[in-house]
Amino acid sequence: MGLDNPADKIDAGASKAPEEIAGRSPWQLAMEQLRGDKVAMICLGILVFFVLVALFSPLLSRAFGVTIDTPEANILLSTTGFDGMPVVGPPYNGFIWAHPLGIAPSTGTDNLAFWMYGARTSMGIALVSTVAATIIGITMGLVAGFARGPLEAVISWIIDFFLSLPFILVALSVAPILVSRFSTQPALLSASQLVALLLVLSLTGWMALARLIRGEVLSLREREFVLSARAIGVPTRSILRKELLPNLIAPIIVSFSLGLPAFVSAEAGLAYLGIGVTNIPSWGRTINAASNYYDTYPLYLWAPVAGVLTLVVALNLLGDSIRDAFDPKTRR
Amino acid sequence: MTGIIESEHRPLKGGYISMRMKKTGTAIAAAALLTVAACGGGGGGSPTETQTVGEGGDAGSGQDPEAAGPAAEIEGAQEGGTLTVNSEVSPATLDPTRSYYTDSTAIMSDLVTRSLTQYKYDAESDSMILVPDMATDLGTPNKDFTEWTFTLREGLKYADGTDVVADDVAYAIKRSFATEELPDGPTYQQTFFLDGDKYAGPYEDGTDYAGVEVDGSDVIIKMRRPFGDMPYYGSFPAFTAIPEDADTDPAKYGNNPMATGPYQFETYKPGQSLTLVQNENWDPATDPARHQYVDKWVFNWNQVQSKVDKVLIADQGEAQTTLSYTDVLTANYAKAQETDRLVTGTSPCTYFWYMDNQKITDVKVRQAVGWAYPYQAAWRAGGLIEGVTRSASTTALPPGTAGRVEFESLPGQDGKTTDPDKARALLEEAGEVGFEIKFPYQTNVPESVQAKDQVVKGLEDAGFKATPVAATSDTIRDLQADDKADINIRGSGWCSDWPSGGSWFPAIFFGDLVGEPGIPNQAQIDEPDVDKQINNILDTMSGEEANAAWGELDKYMMQKYFPVVPIGYSGVALLHGSRVGGMSNDNVRGMPTFQDMFVAQ
Repeated sequence: MGLDNPADKIDAGASKAPEEIAGRSPWQLAMEQLRGDKVAMICLGILVFFVLVALFSPLLSRAFGVTIDTPEANILLSTTGFDGMPVVGPPYNGFIWAHPLGIAPSTGTDNLAFWMYGARTSMGIALVSTVAATIIGITMGLVAGFARGPLEAVISWIIDFFLSLPFILVALSVAPILVSRFSTQPALLSASQLVALLLVLSLTGWMALARLIRGEVLSLREREFVLSARAIGVPTRSILRKELLPNLIAPIIVSFSLGLPAFVSAEAGLAYLGIGVTNIPSWGRTINAASNYYDTYPLYLWAPVAGVLTLVVALNLLGDSIRDAFDPKTRR
Repeated sequence: MTGIIESEHRPLKGGYISMRMKKTGTAIAAAALLTVAACGGGGGGSPTETQTVGEGGDAGSGQDPEAAGPAAEIEGAQEGGTLTVNSEVSPATLDPTRSYYTDSTAIMSDLVTRSLTQYKYDAESDSMILVPDMATDLGTPNKDFTEWTFTLREGLKYADGTDVVADDVAYAIKRSFATEELPDGPTYQQTFFLDGDKYAGPYEDGTDYAGVEVDGSDVIIKMRRPFGDMPYYGSFPAFTAIPEDADTDPAKYGNNPMATGPYQFETYKPGQSLTLVQNENWDPATDPARHQYVDKWVFNWNQVQSKVDKVLIADQGEAQTTLSYTDVLTANYAKAQETDRLVTGTSPCTYFWYMDNQKITDVKVRQAVGWAYPYQAAWRAGGLIEGVTRSASTTALPPGTAGRVEFESLPGQDGKTTDPDKARALLEEAGEVGFEIKFPYQTNVPESVQAKDQVVKGLEDAGFKATPVAATSDTIRDLQADDKADINIRGSGWCSDWPSGGSWFPAIFFGDLVGEPGIPNQAQIDEPDVDKQINNILDTMSGEEANAAWGELDKYMMQKYFPVVPIGYSGVALLHGSRVGGMSNDNVRGMPTFQDMFVAQ
């Protein structure tokens, strides 16, 4: 990051154009540093690739001529052997364009189509959950930090309460309740599983951010600019929004960027346990089904594993870079 | 034995009237999901090349009352060594009275506890034969089969050296009535034995029970209705010998039961492991079927099947003397077959789609379901291996049942043909196009979800409306056991307790059972002519005559009412290491023939 460091530029440009010394906001500084970070840029590229795959998975599937539909019985029987292993494509036969990643044993579904739609499920669920968790976390954190008296105690108690909920247990217990409630309505069942998954992920994922924000607010609320705002009668709502929130942008962005990969893995993990969504393609579901085939049909397993792995690593590295960029202490 | 259902590669069975399927950790699958079963595999460690399920032959329908000890030597057998058995499931109990699953009965009967009768593996027919055990023959009935006399052999001893006496066998029989203290065991004694409906076992009612008498070394059992299948029933571990003074705490007796067979418990950790060592006081001369080749047996339960498979396929070190009694995973089947160490065979089960005859009242609609069901596609999607762990079925009684008649329940239906046109024609004839079929599946079992998708397609192609009802592996048994549930199909199965229709029709197709708690008659079939014939056979026939009559009843009922869709007979695929000898399929249970096994040096 050294070359783009504003300090260097000031030295270099001092004699030529002093007016360029003009101030830059912390945001601009961070962006500038990010742009010069090769790792961050590569990760961003990977992220863009996955976003595109997710957004356009139906179109891409059509382009490859594959679908996520359950094959008709006659297709299933003609593409799988008596023991369920594919008789076309990998692992025992050569590559075919009709199924670039092969077909799944037993079910005969197309692996590429499931991979692309799985990306869509993963990213969609991770994005929505992260946004929801972030909004809840910011709101609760701001209020908890700024409020005094009973309200603060109540909110702090709520934060502690949610922190004490074991995430996996909550997910495990919600799944059968939904199944029995919507057992005869398949469409509602899948919708409710999706909603429940989003709720479980976001309701168990906001506390860390809320605590972080609360701490920041506690340290800010006695500062002069807040005191002056109160003195001249600015309503609390405006103080929170106009005075405090802008000072918290950095931790929020960092939390957001590190939350995304956590939710991608959580979604895959829950699907692997059979308690996530069960009627839409998902990497976790495929990994679950493929885990017994790790040596007889490795491609079946490794494609979704590689998807999760690449996406999570890219998001994490990007998140780290963002944190470094926004944190004045790591800026040289 | 048993009862039911499915799930992946786990076998096990459950019971008579009370339960279908009790299997650990398994589930039933709605559409035919997974499987288990067995079928006649190769003998002596070298599996035959193309084993087909369903051709296993007489699962124990053969009998040899003359068989005498000692049992003939197994070819190539050697003494010494330790055999290790790894399994994905674990028996809930090894108390002889409570042993009713395939694994617990096989372990106890083959190795530890002798009973009145037992099964012996016959290499020639690749099948089990019923032979005497502690009794000198297969029992002597009176004229109408309401009294059976078994005479005990001389020289029977427990592992501690004390003699086995007839009173101990009588006590064990009385003990089997204590279903409150010792639940989950077989319950035919309550149905057939004298006062079986009144006597509640020695703990509650004392040992004064009129149904069992002892006369010297004779044990006389009295019935309240004719019971021609008593010799088969006498093979259950419940009919072993238990001294009354050894049974001080019924809940703990199963932790180290008195051994009469070639092996005794050394250490037993319920649910985890069992080590058996030789019983010096077992006399081979008194035993027509068992051997005592290995020094030690080690059972490890609750193992991960994929790991068990890998170790056995790799066949290194200790794995060479290791075997599994749970099926090899579909994913590993091809590799397992290449090893030449895969034993396949039948187990005496048929999987059914039980149609609720009170809700699907038109036989034409039921027959239409039989043509619409996507047999092969559902097997494959459900992770079953066609011809190995599941094969086409055309009758209710599985192959190997004594007196079974070979026929097609639907004329022209070979058990794996799906014909939407025929189904639609039947529906149109019945004026029921669009009939709604509601069947359960398990959302958390991928194989169940996949098979469900194929079944929905098959039904819709034929003009049905398909409504899969979601359940989980924890809830599906309760759902299917609820006679008020809003479903009209129940997917499960039934396994013989012994190879005769007598362990089928009265248990699952009897009209009086409609409305019973737990819905034992899952098809809810209530046809007076079927009931009349069931009663007729139970009350007036025995032996071969009864067996043949059950076979005819199967044909009559299936062709006339088609109350269930037979969706496949079961089979097993068991792997063993290269130094394991004498392992064949016990087609009465779908388990290894433990009593014949040895370590090749």
